[in-house]
Amino acid sequence: MNLHRLPLPGLVALDTPRLALMMLAVDPALRGVAFAGAAGSGKSALLQGLGALLPDLPFEMLPLGSDDEALLGGLDLEATLQRGTRVVRPGLLARAHEGVLAAEDCNLLPEATANLLMATLDSGELHVEREGLSLRSPCRLRLVATFDPAEGPPRAHLLDRIGLVVPLPAVGQAAARAEIVRRHLAPARDLWEEDLQLLRDLAATARAALPAIRLTPAQSKELAAAADAFGVQGHRADLFAHRAARASAALALRDRIEREDLELAVRLVLAPRATRQPAPTPADAEAPAAPPTGPEPQDTTAPDPDDATRSDAPPTEGELTLDDEVLAAIATELPDLMATLPFRAVRGGRSGSRGSTDGTRGRHVRSDPGLPREGRLDVIATLRAAARWQRIRPRGAGRVAIRAEDLRIKRFRDKAGALFVFAVDASGSMALNRMRQAKGAVHALLERAYVNRDRVALLSFRGQGADLLLPPTGSVELLRRAVDQIPTGGGTPLAAALLAALEVASQARRRGLRNVVLVLLTDARANIGIHADRAGVEDELQALALQAGASGLRSVVIDTQRNFLSQGAAKNLAAWLGGEYLYLPGASAAAIAAAAQSAA
Amino acid sequence: MATTVQFPFAALVGQEDLKLALLLAVVDPSIGGVLVTGHRGTAKSTAVRALADLLPPMDAVDGCPYHCDPTAPAGACPHCGGSARSRPGGGTSSRRKSPTRPVVRRPVPVVDLPLGATEDRVVGSIDLERALVEGVQAFAPGLLAAAHRGFLYIDEVNLLEDHLVDVLLDVAASGVNVVEREGLSIRHPARFVLVGSGNPEEGDLRPQLLDRFGLHARIRTLHDIGQRIEIVRRRLAFEDDPQGFAKRHARAQSALRATLASAIARRPTVTLTDEALALAASLCDKLAIDGHRGELALSRAAVALAAYEQAPSATRDHVAKVAPLALAHRLRKDPLEPAADDERVKRILAEALG
Repeated sequence: MNLHRLPLPGLVALDTPRLALMMLAVDPALRGVAFAGAAGSGKSALLQGLGALLPDLPFEMLPLGSDDEALLGGLDLEATLQRGTRVVRPGLLARAHEGVLAAEDCNLLPEATANLLMATLDSGELHVEREGLSLRSPCRLRLVATFDPAEGPPRAHLLDRIGLVVPLPAVGQAAARAEIVRRHLAPARDLWEEDLQLLRDLAATARAALPAIRLTPAQSKELAAAADAFGVQGHRADLFAHRAARASAALALRDRIEREDLELAVRLVLAPRATRQPAPTPADAEAPAAPPTGPEPQDTTAPDPDDATRSDAPPTEGELTLDDEVLAAIATELPDLMATLPFRAVRGGRSGSRGSTDGTRGRHVRSDPGLPREGRLDVIATLRAAARWQRIRPRGAGRVAIRAEDLRIKRFRDKAGALFVFAVDASGSMALNRMRQAKGAVHALLERAYVNRDRVALLSFRGQGADLLLPPTGSVELLRRAVDQIPTGGGTPLAAALLAALEVASQARRRGLRNVVLVLLTDARANIGIHADRAGVEDELQALALQAGASGLRSVVIDTQRNFLSQGAAKNLAAWLGGEYLYLPGASAAAIAAAAQSAA
Repeated sequence: MATTVQFPFAALVGQEDLKLALLLAVVDPSIGGVLVTGHRGTAKSTAVRALADLLPPMDAVDGCPYHCDPTAPAGACPHCGGSARSRPGGGTSSRRKSPTRPVVRRPVPVVDLPLGATEDRVVGSIDLERALVEGVQAFAPGLLAAAHRGFLYIDEVNLLEDHLVDVLLDVAASGVNVVEREGLSIRHPARFVLVGSGNPEEGDLRPQLLDRFGLHARIRTLHDIGQRIEIVRRRLAFEDDPQGFAKRHARAQSALRATLASAIARRPTVTLTDEALALAASLCDKLAIDGHRGELALSRAAVALAAYEQAPSATRDHVAKVAPLALAHRLRKDPLEPAADDERVKRILAEALG
């Protein structure tokens, strides 16, 4: 029995997610909802949920492998050839018009697909200019998306286009677990069907009441102040928060907006987009991040150096009429959220891969003469090639005469490039120096990145663990802001750095960036382990390094140790990694960049 | 774009840099286009799309797919008297040869280049339907043709496919689109104001393309609570009743339209004072900007601003006001420089002005 068989009303401990779906059913202008949760947290059931609430509207699933043509539509080959005139086959987006588009694992969508989705959600219009077609049609849809944060965050820009972001609770409480099992074993379907009908009726009632519900000026001000306090980027969120509050009141069958509606709006719309803590909450803000044990290396809550520069006009004190207490309470949920959401730590820096390294995927750049077995047939190009001969070729009954020499095969360009992961030792006294070298080298690489779409990530390690300062990006802009004021000094947790680098590499691989180079700037005097005690640090490091080397990760160890006699540690590390060793204590940024590039 | 009502330009809250840059590009298209970058959800594309409604209509040759300028010498495009002998195999079937060309008044085109567009739709290609049905080899003009004498808008310009960027760079430099494909051989004029928007955090723009833009407006999230509230209020009102909302702002829109029209008419008579020119040159020198596009864009923008403000000549003040827009994106990137580019321009500007 599958989890997703359980209908919406039967879901246990998912009241808020269910409410979010109801809100979206009430107000399509909320555009969408994204659920973040681990495997088995009920994502698939929720994904189907909106379809169940809106049974009369189109419901389309977005498969992960969809290409541009699947989304936008194209030429209906058979009909076109038969009738000798262009027949258009609508794509997924067109079919979902006025209805629901459900995207599972939206963080794994190819960049091009996510971009198309974003553009459509934004404009409410489908605009196709491809392969001889030029179409514009209205396309208003509600997006229900899910993702597992352990597989990397989705693009911030995609989430920004939809109203609600809901982290799912981990299935924890024993009572809830037991209830889930009980319901699965004895699914009282008739009962759920009745409940489902109730939910549908409630949504319909709320939808009718919605236009009459307004926020008071004071309530508008509260939401605006909350958005500013959380450092939310842009103004879409303000609008979504407004709509969320109204939908919440409508679902409670009230015609006035109460405090709880505002709180829900803050919780589902503003808090997930926070880029800073709203108020210095004494204990919680300082809650030390747990040492990176096990599956937490993507915890990218790095200090936010940008806050100081970006907030040109800090929120005026005393304007927060939505209780400071309330905001602070919601804020205490943030540290968890931030690790799983792209807005704060990643800052939209994820650019993913441009196309894939696979020869028949990637981006279609042109079409050449060829045979279908050599690749994918480009129908339009083939027809175009045949078109000019139609007058002189003998034609069958209304059919297009195509000959072998007309056949055109799609050529794809592989521009995925390489990912350089810089891991910089921020411990000890030379940390600042190393960081400056790394920043220069990263910059030098990015300057050339346009040519082959290289990406760079930057992580630092000191004390108890590693911080991802700059997630894989091609943006010089992000680099500039990522690396000011990082703390230095303390112990050297090399193993944690390796683990973090491996995680970055494996996330990149999932997105098609296969060529990953690790550049380690360190004196390699590891003295802090992950699980190991002081004596076992080296063994642990060796084991991890061997594993990294075996995984196909290429690496360069740049020894920054000034004392020539004690350089053995870095050399050993390079050997375990199966990588290159360079002794460059005072290396220029350009030299490091060159070394990295030669390893790619 | 005719099907949906656009948010009125005059109803946009804040983001003065963005609005100014777009208006200047209307006053003088030769400034070289506008790039808008900034945070998500800060009205980047709303502003650009709203621009269409402000543009004064233009005269064009009736029936010409490239809407050629009737006052320009004939023969620029295959439709307007381009002669058949120079283009074997090319051209459209309905070629017009009469010296007096009928004129039609039409809106200035504002063309969207959507993501996922393929090259054949951008540059144009053989008209498949006519080829299959009638057996004629006709050219179906693409988006570049549609944008001639108007604006070409690319949202998320930094995400544009490389091969399309190459095409754009080529055509933007020459003003001519040359199509050699599928047995077609066509040249047609394609001069347009390139407007791009995007978020640099998603990936930087190719330097060559960045350099093409005359002005670069950077926009940020507004922190003024009053403005934030106003944005939401207006947007909700617009979404509830687009027509009614547009009607309420109709007067402000037509005032803005009139100002623009008079600025366009006045611009050729506006002069650049020597002091203003000296300031422009010294700014570019102090900021170590390569090439002379910077001075040119800066001077043109200053003149356009003077025309927009109905001043007889462009002064140092005009140059100072547009300097961040015209220069910030031309600075050499320096990773160790903590200040943002526009802050650096402002700093040098303050020094230069004493």
